[in-house]
Amino acid sequence: MSPESRLALVFAIVVVAALVGAIWKLTSGKSKRIRDGLQVDLTELGVIKNGSPVTRFGSRITFLQFSSEFCSQCLQTARALAQLEEQSDDVLHLEVDITNRLDLASKYNILQTPTTLVLDRRGVVKSRIGGAPKAATLEAEIGTFEI
Amino acid sequence: MSTSNQIDPRGPRFGAAITSTLLAVTIYLALDAATKDAAFGLFLVITTLFAIGAVFGVINHPYAWLFKSLVRPRLQAPKELEDATPPRFAQGVGLFVALVGVALHLAGIELGLAVAASAAFFAAFLNAAFNYCLGCQIFLGLKRLKVIR
Repeated sequence: MSPESRLALVFAIVVVAALVGAIWKLTSGKSKRIRDGLQVDLTELGVIKNGSPVTRFGSRITFLQFSSEFCSQCLQTARALAQLEEQSDDVLHLEVDITNRLDLASKYNILQTPTTLVLDRRGVVKSRIGGAPKAATLEAEIGTFEI
Repeated sequence: MSTSNQIDPRGPRFGAAITSTLLAVTIYLALDAATKDAAFGLFLVITTLFAIGAVFGVINHPYAWLFKSLVRPRLQAPKELEDATPPRFAQGVGLFVALVGVALHLAGIELGLAVAASAAFFAAFLNAAFNYCLGCQIFLGLKRLKVIR
């Protein structure tokens, strides 16, 4: 192959990778509405918070974050959601490590982490955020639910 | 998670930038018969670098040393630290892809080296440019498919 066509090929690979990355960046962290979402079972999740099992959903909204091992963005997401929880009494953040809970991964159809499910006060899934949520997305989600 | 395992998140991205550059050069060299041996030599170096990251962790990687001594002094302090195990997982995936490339090349498969280098380039480039995290994207999928335990 001539040097020109080799350069062109390498350049094309870089362009395709950049396009894929840009599309990923644009779509990741946005929320998708879910119709007829599942009712989340807190007993099945088995989340322990401040030393005791969680038995109630947030009175306005619950962010149910699924995390896994080897996930750097899960940590950032947990920080952001914990901060929102701290700011208001009616927001609850739950984090479940599904590394060894593949039953939950298949029930909620989780392929990437973090995946955050947005639940109403009854614990019904209303929307789903794949990847590290954008700050504006989280604010908008909270705004969706009446107090 | 011990605090000693916390790193500046920009470190692995710096390393990924070097890796993707080396891989792009590999692809260029692998596409011509005259430079194919040079491509293979460079690819073996990259494979070794992946192995160091996967086996000894990214903290003990030569790129981490480069980052600490050359880049970090010119940057502001990191806003937050991150765990060093996710980038180590990514190094493991890189090592696997690189070894497949080495095997294909040694088996005499024509484009094996270029294809493996391209696959590794994709992941390294997305990591460097877009903070793409392999551990976040594929670990759970591999586990659900029972590719890894």
